[in-house]
Amino acid sequence: MMVEETKKEDHFLQLKDITTTFGSIVALNNVNFSVKKGEVVCLIGPSGCGKSTLLRTANWLTPPDKGSVSLDGVLVGSESNKNMSLNEMKVLNGIRAKMGMVFQQFNVWPHLDALENVVRAQLVVAKRSRKEAEEKATKMLFDVGLGEKIHDWPDNLSGGQKQRLGIARALAMDPVLMLLDEPTSALDPELVSEVLNVLKRLANEGMTMIIVTHELGFASQVADRVAFMEDGKIIEEGPPNVILKSPKTQRLRLFLDKLNITSFTPS
Amino acid sequence: MKFDLSYTIDALPRLLEGATVTVQVALLGFLFSITLGTIIVLTRTTLNWRILNGIIAVYVSFIRGTPLMIQIFLVYYVLPVTGLNLGAFTSGILAITLNSAAFVSEILRGGLTSVPKGQFEAAKSLGVSGVALWGRVILPQTFIASIPPLVNEFTQVLKATALLSIITVVELLRVSQQIYSANYHPVEILSGAFIIYFLLCFFVSRGSVLLENHWRVRRA
Repeated sequence: MMVEETKKEDHFLQLKDITTTFGSIVALNNVNFSVKKGEVVCLIGPSGCGKSTLLRTANWLTPPDKGSVSLDGVLVGSESNKNMSLNEMKVLNGIRAKMGMVFQQFNVWPHLDALENVVRAQLVVAKRSRKEAEEKATKMLFDVGLGEKIHDWPDNLSGGQKQRLGIARALAMDPVLMLLDEPTSALDPELVSEVLNVLKRLANEGMTMIIVTHELGFASQVADRVAFMEDGKIIEEGPPNVILKSPKTQRLRLFLDKLNITSFTPS
Repeated sequence: MKFDLSYTIDALPRLLEGATVTVQVALLGFLFSITLGTIIVLTRTTLNWRILNGIIAVYVSFIRGTPLMIQIFLVYYVLPVTGLNLGAFTSGILAITLNSAAFVSEILRGGLTSVPKGQFEAAKSLGVSGVALWGRVILPQTFIASIPPLVNEFTQVLKATALLSIITVVELLRVSQQIYSANYHPVEILSGAFIIYFLLCFFVSRGSVLLENHWRVRRA
């Protein structure tokens, strides 16, 4: 019984035997990947290595050719249910809402003000009353430091503010897991920290997170585990201070070397 | 023969009556055409059935490739043959709708392509799909992006209603014809109609600028 329990804990999110192809390109090659509750995992690797695809497999935004995904023991999707019925779609919608996703390009809704961006899905998916949804949204916006901006249009927000709005929108659904796809890659350097600070706070609060990132410094601060991917496979994974400092594989060593060359270090 | 403004002024009340019919027909026709155009775009993108897409493509190219006047005649004279007797006013609106919807569907298709893929993904990732995805997230953005060409299409519709005079819809041009065939002063009367058409279109275009400014901030 105990064994069962720990096992379930280890596989809070479980991606099993995932293979994804885009035409002739193999984006994910039979990947197995699990995340514990409360764990923060950073995915790193060269572009095109499949890290974003892996993230988007978790909430079935990119359904794989083969394999299955489950969250907290509930099946998110498997290759057999690619053509979903309306009912299956409803179930998937419920699960998706519990996996907050944050995008590189923010993808906030430009036709709605900040508050309404955070309110919409609460009304439609979580079936909350408008009053309840607005209270929740206001709190979420304050939490990410947008308390002064609740009636601003996304167009009038900076990149960092847009991204924090995107985070608030996801958090309002009370997610049990956050998926972050290069959340700071589209930001001006001086705006990166405001977003990373919000993510650090989330990590400290025990939020389970998978973060695709190029910010190795950030990864080493917040991640419990770093997974390095290349050619659609997880090549090496482990605690950040182990694998980022003394990588076992040649490929990771080369990748880290390349990043070090590009980062500016005054002598 | 000299231009006698008093004929224009005398005719003004009746001309304005005709203009209200013009506006009615244009508004109704355009409203239905937006509805039909939206349905066309939605079926095209969400269902994506081959046969249906084929039918839509044929419909759009026929409408674009034939004179509106013939389309109006066809609706007015052919439908009664099938037993459907709609009358001039309804036939006119139907003809305008069928014509304009082809253009509106193309306008909206263009507007839709301007909505980034990420907007769909963000909605889906929050569990928003189906009617809510389209109704609350995608279509509003499609319409906002389409405001200038849609307003342009509305001015086209407004002017096209003049053609309905040939099937006896008593709109602005028809009223003008009725007046000048009685008083033999076509120049004065038609000038009045000319100015009214121009003012209508002018205010619609000005309205477009206001609309655009109002919604600009809400665009991606």
